[in-house]
Amino acid sequence: MMDIKRVISTIEKNYILSNLKKGERIDGRDLWEYRDWTVKSDVIASAEGSAEVTLGKTKIITGLKYDVGAPFPDLPNEGVCTFMAELLPLASPLFERGPPDDQSIELARVVDRGIRHADCVQTKKLCIKEKEAVYILFVDIYVINYSGNLTDAGGVSALTTLISSHIPEGKWIDGNLEWTGKYLTGDTIVNEIPMVITYGKIGDIIFLDPSLPEELVCDGRISISVTEDKITSIQKSGYATFSLDEIKMLGKKTMEIASKVRKELNLWQYKRDK
Amino acid sequence: MPLIIKDEYPEKLFREDGKRLDGRDKHELRPIKMEVGVLENADGSAYLEWGNNKIYAAVYGPREVHPHHLAKPDRGILRVFYRMATFSVFDRKRPAPGRREKEISMVITDCLEPVLFLELYPGTSFEVFLNVMDADGGTRCACTTVAALALADAGVPMRSLVTAVAMGKIDGELITDLSGIEDKAGEADLPCAMTWFNEEMSLLQFDGKMDLEEFSNCLTLAKEALTNIHEIQLNTLKKKYIEIQEETKGGENEQ
Repeated sequence: MMDIKRVISTIEKNYILSNLKKGERIDGRDLWEYRDWTVKSDVIASAEGSAEVTLGKTKIITGLKYDVGAPFPDLPNEGVCTFMAELLPLASPLFERGPPDDQSIELARVVDRGIRHADCVQTKKLCIKEKEAVYILFVDIYVINYSGNLTDAGGVSALTTLISSHIPEGKWIDGNLEWTGKYLTGDTIVNEIPMVITYGKIGDIIFLDPSLPEELVCDGRISISVTEDKITSIQKSGYATFSLDEIKMLGKKTMEIASKVRKELNLWQYKRDK
Repeated sequence: MPLIIKDEYPEKLFREDGKRLDGRDKHELRPIKMEVGVLENADGSAYLEWGNNKIYAAVYGPREVHPHHLAKPDRGILRVFYRMATFSVFDRKRPAPGRREKEISMVITDCLEPVLFLELYPGTSFEVFLNVMDADGGTRCACTTVAALALADAGVPMRSLVTAVAMGKIDGELITDLSGIEDKAGEADLPCAMTWFNEEMSLLQFDGKMDLEEFSNCLTLAKEALTNIHEIQLNTLKKKYIEIQEETKGGENEQ
């Protein structure tokens, strides 16, 4: 069993910090380097879309289910897409059973906001009949192994799930819902690929993709979501503070890193046939 | 509002050629794949693919009991938490644990307890987390089987392994290892588990209709299936240590 502690000793924290000052990480990465990604889609037969993503040893399984319901009165021709995250107690001794806690709600919210504000999910295409019937999509994120940076892995798994989706296409005939025999797929539902990128900060040193020991000792984190040319959402967490110059620098850095990761992962390859 | 595709079952559960809908013979098991030590943070863990069922199991313990009042001064306690992912079934399951999940957790706890030496661990708890990521019938049996593996992987002293399988009856015929459709549309469902140190049944539930002769045949057939699954469990556990042994051998040669 890997030694996971709620409190990390000062000597360990100093070791991580002194390495970072030299521009080195305890796992041998440089400051702006991700751990290895693996992405698998369509892993759950019962789900209408699914993905298994690992980032280093962090492992997340996400699945999509749909329901048909009435739209919100103020958005009569738009479907709904909701995100939920569960930090399973099997993933780490740090996770406990019970209703969603702050950490899992934050994970779901950050992933949700990154995707929502990017105009990524085409909610108008999720309308079956105005004012009557729309799709409600549930994207549920399950953390299977916790080894730091759930946000980025969660973001990629949620997006891969949406891209790999395969939802029965319904039409409205005389007040009844009928299946057309076809499916809605990722290219209809997803418009573009936003990426959420997380940095940790210890002292005045900022680094990409905090691993578990780094996450446990760091003063704070910042997650920035970007589309190809715009920033769409930011979440700062922990007690660290960021200077204006640092934030500007991170904005620029995020664009570069996001386009690199987007290219490397090539998430459109997980789209399914209609 | 109903979903666009409806969850309908065929009238006949055997095909023209006498095979079951998924192409199996009456007493053929679905493909089973097991692995141990899959989760690095847990004291012991296992992963099981049994047909379309996909299940992760993790064991934590012996550790402090939360909430504290559950601790027993003369023995350890075993707690099993069976949970299904929202997307593991046809209609999305509600995220909060339901009555069914709580009942199955209890049934599995009672099933596993006889093989553990809990009296050696006073004041502590063993927690077994079972997460069904994809479900297709027989999840309580699959969970029991994978939980026993995870406990063994955690190095918890055990009298023996536990193995479970669901027997059943469809279209008047006895069958082994019910699939999801056979479970819902069939006539009878008999999940059972065996503790191998005394070769007795440690989990037994039954729903449906069978006469006494069928019931007794069913138990005999169950033993056969359980023996085969037990063999896979043992090989999975051995495989991990054979791999470690080979790795260390390699190291010695290099020196």
